[in-house]
Amino acid sequence: MAPLGRAALLLAFGLIVYALLAGSYAAWRKRRRLAHSAQNALLAAFPATLAASAILLIALARHDFTFAYVAQHTSHNLPLPYTLSAFWGGQEGSLLLWLVILTGYAALAVWLNRRQRELMAWTVPVFGLIAVFFAFMLCFVSSPFHQQPAPADGAGMVPSLQNPYMLAHPPMLYLGYVGLAVPFAFAMGALLSGRTDERWIVATRRWTLAAWTFLGVGQLLGAHWAYTEIGWGGYYAWDPVENAALMPWLAATAFLHSVMIQEKRGMLKVWNMVLVALAFNLSLFGTFLTRSGIINSVHSFSQSPIGAWFMGFLIFMVVFSVALIYLRLPLLRTKTRLESLVSREATFLYNNLLLVALALTILWGVLYPVLSEAVRGQTRSVSKPYYDFFLHTFGIPLLLLMGIGPLVAWRKASLRSLGKTFLIPFAVCLVTGGVLLGLGFDSSWAGLLSYTFSAFVVASIVLEFVRGRAAAGGVFRLVSRNRRRYGGYLVHAAIVLLAIGIAGSSAYQTIRENGHLRPGQSMEIAGYTATYRQPTATSPNPIGVKGPDYTGFRSQLTVTGHGESFNVDPGVNVYDAGIGPANEASIYHDPRTLGDFFATAQLVNAKTGTIDLKLYVKPLINLIWAGGFLFVFGALVAMWPDAVEQRRLAARYATGAAPAGI
Amino acid sequence: MEWGLAVAAALAVVAVMFVARPFLREPAPASDQLDELAPEERQRLALTEERDRALDALKELEFDHRTGKVSDDDYRTQVGPLRRRAAEALRTLEAGEHTPHER
Amino acid sequence: MIALSVAAALAIFVVYTALAGNGVAQLTPSTIATAKGNVLLVGKVVGPVEHVGDTLRFAVKDIGDKKPARVSVDYAGSVPSLFRTGRDISVAGVMRHGRFAATKDSLITKCPDHYAPPASSKT
Repeated sequence: MAPLGRAALLLAFGLIVYALLAGSYAAWRKRRRLAHSAQNALLAAFPATLAASAILLIALARHDFTFAYVAQHTSHNLPLPYTLSAFWGGQEGSLLLWLVILTGYAALAVWLNRRQRELMAWTVPVFGLIAVFFAFMLCFVSSPFHQQPAPADGAGMVPSLQNPYMLAHPPMLYLGYVGLAVPFAFAMGALLSGRTDERWIVATRRWTLAAWTFLGVGQLLGAHWAYTEIGWGGYYAWDPVENAALMPWLAATAFLHSVMIQEKRGMLKVWNMVLVALAFNLSLFGTFLTRSGIINSVHSFSQSPIGAWFMGFLIFMVVFSVALIYLRLPLLRTKTRLESLVSREATFLYNNLLLVALALTILWGVLYPVLSEAVRGQTRSVSKPYYDFFLHTFGIPLLLLMGIGPLVAWRKASLRSLGKTFLIPFAVCLVTGGVLLGLGFDSSWAGLLSYTFSAFVVASIVLEFVRGRAAAGGVFRLVSRNRRRYGGYLVHAAIVLLAIGIAGSSAYQTIRENGHLRPGQSMEIAGYTATYRQPTATSPNPIGVKGPDYTGFRSQLTVTGHGESFNVDPGVNVYDAGIGPANEASIYHDPRTLGDFFATAQLVNAKTGTIDLKLYVKPLINLIWAGGFLFVFGALVAMWPDAVEQRRLAARYATGAAPAGI
Repeated sequence: MEWGLAVAAALAVVAVMFVARPFLREPAPASDQLDELAPEERQRLALTEERDRALDALKELEFDHRTGKVSDDDYRTQVGPLRRRAAEALRTLEAGEHTPHER
Repeated sequence: MIALSVAAALAIFVVYTALAGNGVAQLTPSTIATAKGNVLLVGKVVGPVEHVGDTLRFAVKDIGDKKPARVSVDYAGSVPSLFRTGRDISVAGVMRHGRFAATKDSLITKCPDHYAPPASSKT
């Protein structure tokens, strides 16, 4: 079986190399049949890679420990879903996941646009260029098909990864990361062919939106997993691997907005090229970060052998992107200028600058240890205060812009009409601010501003819907006829929910620690009293727990306050396999605050039952997860195919079919 | 495993045939030239995009005016130039269409 | 206009780093002996690991290299799930009287898999 897998990968590699070389030659020399042939090769690479993936999945399902990879990441008693998820659990498998998604996306994009011969002529070799690296690594450097004499049992999977969120989080992220390769390939393809029209944007708009949505959802899933499963009290630690996904997402957000300006006004062609290249290269960098060990993250202290390869490829792609954009600069220049600093274009531009600035400051923070090592010989790192500062400095104005943008007209908005449209949202904002100030929310200026600006944004979105509904005759009709705009508003509303949830759970959270409690004692936090219940004859406290591969304890606490009463039972699981103890946090979702009561406990003295208790009250945190759902819904609305628009685009690019997005 | 080898070989053959298909179907075509947009077609495309942009902008202006985002004054100032731009784009397009061109 | 905004962003950035200092040094047991002030100690846990009252006591050596340097760490606070001998960790604190006095709750352990979960295993 394994030799077949290796053969399938070699076949994929060969096809991809052909797509790259033959495709480039065909596009350069304008050879139709060769271009078609290269296109076929790219299409065929997908089933070849899929076959290799299927072989690995079958080996996993069969617990075939002659596959070294299967033995390293699973064990006999691992439940099937997690066994299968071990596909991406190791380095080789995650490279294969990248390649299968990439070839899959490429095949779909090529198939949908197969009649747009000229558009695809150079896009095919660019896809080949990206894929050839991963195929090469899989065939010659890091193969998932190494064989060995089968051991009695495999190494197993870390318990914290045996969690439903971990089944979805990596694939979602990869669908996002790799998805950004599609607009990149089309953009570079357009540059290589010397085209200046918008076809590449039209063809990739939904791809970008989809990839961006996957990336966002993947991050939220990861954050939720960290919050509930790891239980350190938070959901985002500014760890390099977390930042690795945030940076391309921010760049993609900027790109989604500025592409609208190019479509409406024909401006910013160079900037859009830069952004799409930035987003894709950041996603490559993100993959590299997670795999290479170059950054001293909690996830990679040691150097991995493929790090050097990845770095080489990343540098090559950056140089390739920059060189291509520079060479085609004359073609991209337009005469259109920004007419007014007070216009929707300008607002989008400010939004872009803030997003890119935030992404770059995060990048700087991630690279700082490497750079300081190289320059001063001493590794230094930055931490939460650094990231928080820039998140506030750039993020809070971004929040405000989300409310301003929709209210400003294109081209030029006179101050008078601005005054009229802004009046109600501004009033809402002021009132909210005043009320919050009175209630004492000025303990955190970041939190206060976040809430106040969120109110502004919500007001402006609601107004848009109200005004639009009157004009269109019904909300459904309104949204259906303006999917991008109103889908976008829904996404903005989701981001506002996120912002409120983040602000509430960080700026206004309360933490109590150093609580060494004996049974019967209690601890107070934010108006609640948590009592460590006395054990009785029939029910001990702490109570021992036992699972298939762990033992541990749970401490039972009763929490009262604010007219509520509930129980939490934080504890620890100690796993037999010598992996160590796992914190089992206990979370109560409080309907009163839409937040959480979060408790962790360590056993200090088993005889007396004394625990070291840490309590958090996190207001509004569940808005983050709720926002995630609205985010997906809004994105779907924005992406939804529009027959009228499709017909018009087909007529425009009248070679037979419109450049098709998904 | 022989069967594995056989499967791999079969896959490879199928793949090669698929890749060679364009050449097998047309061993001696009339033209092997990759369709490329002639300069006047590129012009037409650019003009079409310009026309669509102008028409879109008009539509949006109307919508924004109806929903009250754009005041009457602003509407009056902007609608004129936009209409002219759209008309001009349409005119240039039609002029181009009447010129015969080679594909 | 873009140039102006870029300049503004850079200005904010420069001001911040000037005021806030240059991050925290990451040191290994072999380099930490002379360190002053708050640093991050990075290394592999070696036994024995003892509980003395509230304090966790363990030693740390360089990861990878076979350097003989050892640093003894006194740590109080929550211990992350994956902590044990042989694990790579990082912990913040200061060198005091030849021992590393760790900041509470700053202990972070490395996740043992190649595959990296998206958050740190710290508590």
